[in-house]
Amino acid sequence: MRASAADQVEPATNKYLVAAIAWAIPGAGHLLLRRWQKGVTFLIALTLMFATGLWLEGRIFPLGFDLSQPLVGLAAIADLGIGLPYFIAKFMGHGAGRVVAITYEYGNAFAIVAGLLNMLVVLDAWDVAEGRK
Amino acid sequence: MTSHLGLMALFSVFVSIVFASLMRDEPRDQLWFGAKLFAGFIAAGVLIGWLLYPLPL
Repeated sequence: MRASAADQVEPATNKYLVAAIAWAIPGAGHLLLRRWQKGVTFLIALTLMFATGLWLEGRIFPLGFDLSQPLVGLAAIADLGIGLPYFIAKFMGHGAGRVVAITYEYGNAFAIVAGLLNMLVVLDAWDVAEGRK
Repeated sequence: MTSHLGLMALFSVFVSIVFASLMRDEPRDQLWFGAKLFAGFIAAGVLIGWLLYPLPL
């Protein structure tokens, strides 16, 4: 979908910086590009979705690739897509995951999909920074 | 709130909001597209649930 004429006036911003900030803080890339509504929406929705995953006792999968458990490595990459909240949650001791909890798999799905969606948001911010949207 | 249906609805809300914001630029379009996505998620979830119901799992 093409942006409206008013939105197509973009500030001169380094697209690599935009992508890095968009990854680190969900929605921040759009905020940097003055897409206020989208930025705030992503910030609230993705952060809440990731937090919901932790609330549901999902696990934040550890980085590092174990050949005997390849899906754990892939889940970790997806979790990492959310950016700084991944590290903050780890630092605060959240995301240990309680396998016997009835909501464990739901929690994993929320956290993993929040990370994957943020990766899409980073790509969108990149496109905006390049002037394609 | 931790029912399967409730969590599916919550998941659908988050995903619909993000996809609607990504794929539409005008707030009105976002609202309409997000509502359709959400309805699609719920309808597909209920339909697939019923299709799986007879399976001996």
